[in-house]
Amino acid sequence: MKSAPLRVPLSDSEIEVSIRGLSVSYQTSTGLYDAIHDLSLAIHRGSITAIIGESGSGKSTLAMAMLNSVTFPGKIRTGAIDYADVGDITGLNAESLRRFRGEHAAMVFQASQDTLNPLKRVGAQLLDMARSHGLRDRKAILREGSLLAERMSLPASRVMAAYQHELSGGMRQRVSMIFALALKPRVVLLDEPTTALDVLSQSHVLQIVRAIHEERHLTTLLITHDMGVVAELSDRVVVMYAGRIMEDAPSRDLLRAPRHPYAKALIRAIPRLTGPLDRAQALPGAPLELRQIPVVGCVFRDRCTLRQSICDEVTPTLREVAPDHRTACHLEVEA
Amino acid sequence: MIEVVDLTRTFRGAGGLFAQNDVQALRKVSLKVERGAALGLIGESGCGKTTLGRIVCGLETFDGGDVLIDNQSVKTLGDRARRKVFRKVQLIHQDPYSALNPTRDIAHALIDPLRIQARLTRRDSTWVKQRAVELLSLVGLDPQETLYKFPHQLSGGQRQRVVIARALTVEPEALIADEAVSMIDVSLRLGVLHLLATLRRELNLAIVLITHDVAAARYVAHDGELAVIYKGEIVEKGKTDSIISAPVHPYTQALLSAVPVLRGLEVDGPDRYIPEPEVQVQGAEPAGCLFSTRCVFADDHCRGHHPDLSRWGDGDRLMACFKPQERQVVAVAVDDAMEA
Repeated sequence: MKSAPLRVPLSDSEIEVSIRGLSVSYQTSTGLYDAIHDLSLAIHRGSITAIIGESGSGKSTLAMAMLNSVTFPGKIRTGAIDYADVGDITGLNAESLRRFRGEHAAMVFQASQDTLNPLKRVGAQLLDMARSHGLRDRKAILREGSLLAERMSLPASRVMAAYQHELSGGMRQRVSMIFALALKPRVVLLDEPTTALDVLSQSHVLQIVRAIHEERHLTTLLITHDMGVVAELSDRVVVMYAGRIMEDAPSRDLLRAPRHPYAKALIRAIPRLTGPLDRAQALPGAPLELRQIPVVGCVFRDRCTLRQSICDEVTPTLREVAPDHRTACHLEVEA
Repeated sequence: MIEVVDLTRTFRGAGGLFAQNDVQALRKVSLKVERGAALGLIGESGCGKTTLGRIVCGLETFDGGDVLIDNQSVKTLGDRARRKVFRKVQLIHQDPYSALNPTRDIAHALIDPLRIQARLTRRDSTWVKQRAVELLSLVGLDPQETLYKFPHQLSGGQRQRVVIARALTVEPEALIADEAVSMIDVSLRLGVLHLLATLRRELNLAIVLITHDVAAARYVAHDGELAVIYKGEIVEKGKTDSIISAPVHPYTQALLSAVPVLRGLEVDGPDRYIPEPEVQVQGAEPAGCLFSTRCVFADDHCRGHHPDLSRWGDGDRLMACFKPQERQVVAVAVDDAMEA
């Protein structure tokens, strides 16, 4: 287990990634819409930070933006993403960006089977990656890959010689983690790493992520819609809704004492194994579509049971409600 | 209503690099679910639970045993009678994104099967439209808003509700929900599970929930039964709450232990143990208990002999283990303790 939540203000040297005033917008036939709106977030070195939200909350867009990989019709409209020892990556040219991805920060995608080439064996794809990143000793990447495979309880020689369709879902997910880690990045982004897996494979993959995170002194960002995964893995959790941060707190604090009505509702919606059945309550309504997001006022108000007139008129800003615990809600919601 | 007796299904092995032997998807599975009752089938990917679901919907053949629907064996039926019988059992797929035709609106998705139903039951065409509206309201959607939308305009939860409405067009007696909520946002899952529980009560439907998510199964079948399947074999079966609170088979315990603990809200169950990862075994299967290769409690006897399903305790619990022991592995909520 990781140490207790950080209580002291961090100096700049402890921040691995700093996102400042980030807006990512999508150009559609009816106008320009922000999938991420004026978002600022500091990600601490060595932490596992979870970004949680429903479909359409902008969490995957945020992950793509963090590699400056947002594709048309999306675009980083404003803001900066500073990585320690690299600087703002929104200003990098194509070649530097290509090297940055994989060597400094790497991503494990949600549908891992779609990220592997079906026509090439896993080992050959690793060699391709070594070539494209100009490694002198290309065999080294195979050794690294085999090492990682064994670390993940995969039969290394068989996996290196396998095509992706010969691997099970859980194995494929671990193979795509090998790809992300093979170039020894400092920052790893995991987009829904366990969504397609059953509960036993999920538990195993989460154990591996935690172990490798610690062994390699990584900074890990986890994108998920599952509070169980957050509870099991992350030190810190950022709750997103409609492209904005609703709450940002150490994971245990958030689970024990959520402040924002949205965070409370998300936690309440988890079916539980014990206790009365009605302890779990469905979250009413559906997540907002991009073009429905209100410009003024709280974006969650339509689904909020505590809505007041101020919620329609004034946009809430993130404020500190407890040490190291921020929320964007007008109301003094008790924990 | 649905009964399977010693059901067996074997798939011929595929070649290739990881050449596999024949896969025994189901090994002498016996189960029964009455109208209005709920059954949760739980197990990990590849345990045969989906095959079982497909067989009782008539979408898959079987090689041994029998399937009885309303006490009638389906083996001897001709095509026409078979279709009629299996109309009573409808399947809800895992993926609501591919279960609906993307080029047709929701009205069409419902009206096509309703027309057939109208012809069979000698109703006229005004009934079709009216019934489509009724069904959408029944599954908790606003008919006026939903009817002329296309699948891509709906959320995952709404889509799954449409799929459920479509299954209800033929007035079934049972719904087989195969991982029906696993692709839906966690925040919206509970709504769909709640809908299944409501339909069960109001329409007196039998519900079979096939899932690896025990909490989801509990939500629909809390007063029903759970059957735990490992490699095509039932290893434990009994009342839902009793299985969750006091599982006897180490595999059930492993499944329940793997459910994430909401630390801060819950504390680990006293006997929780982290299950062994899947071991890739090539070649022949163990002669004894199929779970012995992963079981932390297995000894030589387990590896050499095959345990049969037998009674445990004085309830109606069945289990197949040589070393049965109740263990409390699920997380304990601290809510109440905190408030006190």
